[in-house]
Amino acid sequence: MKEEEIKRLVKIVEESNIDTLEISRWGRSIKITKNTMGPNSMTNSHSTQTYSAPATALSQQPVEPKVQEAKPETPAVGDEIKSPMVGTFFLSPAPDADPYVKVGSTVKKGQVLCIIEAMKLMNEIESEHDGKIVEILVENAQPVEYNQPLFRIEPA
Amino acid sequence: MFKKVLIANRGEIALRIIRACKELDIATVAVYSEADADSLHVRFADEIVCIGPGPSAQSYLQIPRIISAAEVTNAEAIHPGYGFLAENADFAEVCESCNIKFIGPEPQMIRDMGNKAKAKETMKNAGVPVIPGSDGILKDKNEAKKIAHGIGYPVIIKASAGGGGRGMRIVRDADGIDRAFETAANEAQTGFGNPDLYMEKFIEHPRHIEIQILADSHGNIVPLGERECSIQRKHQKLIEESPSPIITPKIRKKMAEAAIKGAEAVNYQNAGTIEFLYEDGNFYFMEMNTRIQVEHPVTELVFGIDLIRRQIEIAAGLKFNWNKNYKMRGHAIECRINAEDPAKDFRPSPGKITSFHVPGGYGVRVDTHAYAGYVIPPFYDSLIAKLITHGKTREQALTRMSRCLEEFVIEGIATTIPFLEMILQQEDFIAGNFDTRYVEKIQAKMYAAAA
Repeated sequence: MKEEEIKRLVKIVEESNIDTLEISRWGRSIKITKNTMGPNSMTNSHSTQTYSAPATALSQQPVEPKVQEAKPETPAVGDEIKSPMVGTFFLSPAPDADPYVKVGSTVKKGQVLCIIEAMKLMNEIESEHDGKIVEILVENAQPVEYNQPLFRIEPA
Repeated sequence: MFKKVLIANRGEIALRIIRACKELDIATVAVYSEADADSLHVRFADEIVCIGPGPSAQSYLQIPRIISAAEVTNAEAIHPGYGFLAENADFAEVCESCNIKFIGPEPQMIRDMGNKAKAKETMKNAGVPVIPGSDGILKDKNEAKKIAHGIGYPVIIKASAGGGGRGMRIVRDADGIDRAFETAANEAQTGFGNPDLYMEKFIEHPRHIEIQILADSHGNIVPLGERECSIQRKHQKLIEESPSPIITPKIRKKMAEAAIKGAEAVNYQNAGTIEFLYEDGNFYFMEMNTRIQVEHPVTELVFGIDLIRRQIEIAAGLKFNWNKNYKMRGHAIECRINAEDPAKDFRPSPGKITSFHVPGGYGVRVDTHAYAGYVIPPFYDSLIAKLITHGKTREQALTRMSRCLEEFVIEGIATTIPFLEMILQQEDFIAGNFDTRYVEKIQAKMYAAAA
């Protein structure tokens, strides 16, 4: 696909209501995703990389015959930590404070991972294992229900 | 009017409330346990929040989680349905303190009527007939004889701290008092560590007749007729109807007036039911239920009124032009269909419903949360459907009900439909001659015949 054509497609996506445009032709494919604000910012940033990859990379090598996923398929790692209550999830003890944990943080059993606010009370949610935080599954200030997965943790 | 209501319940009543909300253009929030993830109330609500695992104590009775669910969804009011937290004064209070409107009476009204002894006293002071008896604990055998003479035999001597049928003696004449007093006191002492006794008039063949009332927040209380609920098994109602086949207009008026007096005595608000024991033209206050009842549809059909909608409107503070002369029209009967096996002593029958066909046609209503493919969870009560028929006369409603019970198909689980069909065919039932011990008698007859 020539650079001109890619630029034209990008312009079409930008100027329209289209979120994602995927074109596959003669063994080559391109996926363009609009970088919208939303809960899937991880997905978006990854595919922005796809879209902003230089045209040269595309023309130099034919893209794999299968459609590229926006997010690479990695097997889910570790165990899920689920919410024991209904409330609002907060990553930090206060709005301007540092989050309790980040992806990659090492945690110990009993360490506070997050707060769930319920009925004006802040409930500290503690880790049940030693391990490493592999994924944070909820957004800050998002409502959560009973048993909703909050984190993935790789036990030590 | 509320913009969003949370339903703190499950099953058929949750669906009933969601339907009323939708007609009022109110957004609905359903809370559910993990066992109810495939439930109809979950599918039809606008928003859903999981509040715990199957067992009620860990889900539908979890006050903090339910309040949280209302907060995160911005629900303005909670309808508690029946059972669960519907008559939990603490829950009503928590709602109030969190600025969530509890669709029902005030916490204090719930508390007052929840204490059975206090409720009886309140009613008595308001001039509502209560079961005649001793004013508190019996001093001795002589006092017992005097009181029994005053209220008339037969009487029942009961342990004050008792229950479960223990520490109770029925006495049919003055000669029996001495012995009954002694043995009851002994039994009470050994069974409950407290020999105190009190006395009540013993009602041999009581009928359970209740009066529905509706009270708004502006002091208006309306009686909505009676419901006959004597067809019970182990104190669980099986069949209810309105009007009662034996209540005359004169008695109806008296009972309605008593019910209003009782409700006024506690400044009652919203929907409520006052239960009476009835025998030979006399009625006595038994208890008051400060919530909507399972059998509300029979009253709805006979009066042409949507009670759940009214509950929501009352809670929203709407003023009504109460038409004080609501008229009863025709006759309505409800059969509760439970997932129980009548051939195996009504053993619960949870499991998957493989086919499900509800009857229909003129004068037929079915309130149910079940459907073909639904798996009945084992954690909750066994009610799966309410079948209600309405007719111009009781005879018509009964014929219609028999036809519907035959048409109703529920496969994959056992249900009480065969037992209900059998009752509908009994001469005494058709004649309206029954009391709260009727089902017991029928069952005994069935076993005797089978033996």
